[in-house]
Amino acid sequence: MVCSIVPPYILRRLAAQGSPRFSAVARAAREALLHVGAVHAARTSAPTAPAGIRQLEPSPVNRSVFDAKSGESLPGQVVRKEGDAATGDPAVDEAYDGLGHTHSLYADAFGRNSIDGLGMPLKATVHFGRMYDNAFWDGQQMVFGDGDGEVFERFTRSLSVIGHELAHGVTQFSAGLAYRNQAGAINESVSDVFGALVEQYFRKQTAAEASWLIGEGLFTPQVEGSALRSMKAPGTAYDDDVLGKDPQPDSMDSYVRTRSDNGGVHINSGIPNRAFCLVAQTLGGNAWDAPGQIWYETLTGGSLSTATTFTAFAKATAATAKELFGEESAEHDAVRGAWETVKVKL
Amino acid sequence: MKITVERSGGIAALTRVWTVQAVTTSEKSRWQPLVEACPWDAVDDPRQAPDGQPDGQPDRFMYSIRAGQRRATLPETAVTGPWRVLVESTRTAAEESRPGGGEAGFRR
Ligand SMILES: [Zn+2]
Repeated sequence: MVCSIVPPYILRRLAAQGSPRFSAVARAAREALLHVGAVHAARTSAPTAPAGIRQLEPSPVNRSVFDAKSGESLPGQVVRKEGDAATGDPAVDEAYDGLGHTHSLYADAFGRNSIDGLGMPLKATVHFGRMYDNAFWDGQQMVFGDGDGEVFERFTRSLSVIGHELAHGVTQFSAGLAYRNQAGAINESVSDVFGALVEQYFRKQTAAEASWLIGEGLFTPQVEGSALRSMKAPGTAYDDDVLGKDPQPDSMDSYVRTRSDNGGVHINSGIPNRAFCLVAQTLGGNAWDAPGQIWYETLTGGSLSTATTFTAFAKATAATAKELFGEESAEHDAVRGAWETVKVKL
Repeated sequence: MKITVERSGGIAALTRVWTVQAVTTSEKSRWQPLVEACPWDAVDDPRQAPDGQPDGQPDRFMYSIRAGQRRATLPETAVTGPWRVLVESTRTAAEESRPGGGEAGFRR
């Protein structure tokens, strides 16, 4: 039973609002449908413009970018704070902008108040290490290497990579998924999903227009490859004489059993990645709307075990779609159909 | 003595391998102390950790290091002190293209 002054059908209608302008309200309405507590918070408000829901509005972004100057001590020397003008150092300015675009997606599309949901300031360190071929979230902040210049360019070049790493923070503060085997591959996939959404939301691209590539622009021109991973066609992102071929499977038929890479977390993530892309392509429009809402609610809704499996995660997304949009909805059908295509049993 | 450093993981999940061969007496006397300085017996295999990355950080590198019969697997955050010296020396020597310098490449 939902005890609320806002009738469930209004919440449902709000929840179904597709326009980005409404998505924070829509998100809050969906939250309210799922959590009775949030409905109580909205009790004093008018149904169409819920003031209580407005109070959930995220706080403005608060960024700091640091320079490690090729060292490895964190965070390094602060070089750009919130509101400061561009520095002219591309790594600094790309990191600053990337943090902002990531904050915007979570705030506008999902009503989330920064990475931890509590308005945490966003920090990034650039120029970490010498020829460092990586970017990572250390549990508290982002860290970017400059790349070796032969295989990799600087890691701030890709917005989907910035979004990927910050999504590890969101997972850490919500579902807390383990980083091994299938739970680890879901953890990786969720980072690719929200990394892709950050980029698509910034570029205002529909699911049909988007590249669905993760890490476009990171490889130097010497490498035969467009990106690190392809969510649309896993296994096709690169095929290079030196690097070898993208090892991602695109369905359970080619699931990789391995002890390396924590049980193939960056490999088997291709399967749930493609499932998300299929949902978005089937529904059309913007992937951060219904598809993003379903994945976001599944990640943050509290129903996932930290040791989740592909099947448990698939079931959870279908249950979320049913709860948000109804059993007979196109959204519920699209989610079920996508998992069937990648051969994950529901 | 053959020394191999294999670095896996990272957001790109590409595995890089650096190898050097210490064949001559002078090469052996250069590498032996670097190898001996590492606490090989004090390392647990982090791949046995039930929840994944032992340092709790996704997308960090993992190093598998071999020298002769000895081997150890370490998360990036544990590659400090003598391990760091051994890894960096191996990488530098392997990337120098002089004959006998070693090999650098990717595991495919
Ligand atoms: Zn990752």
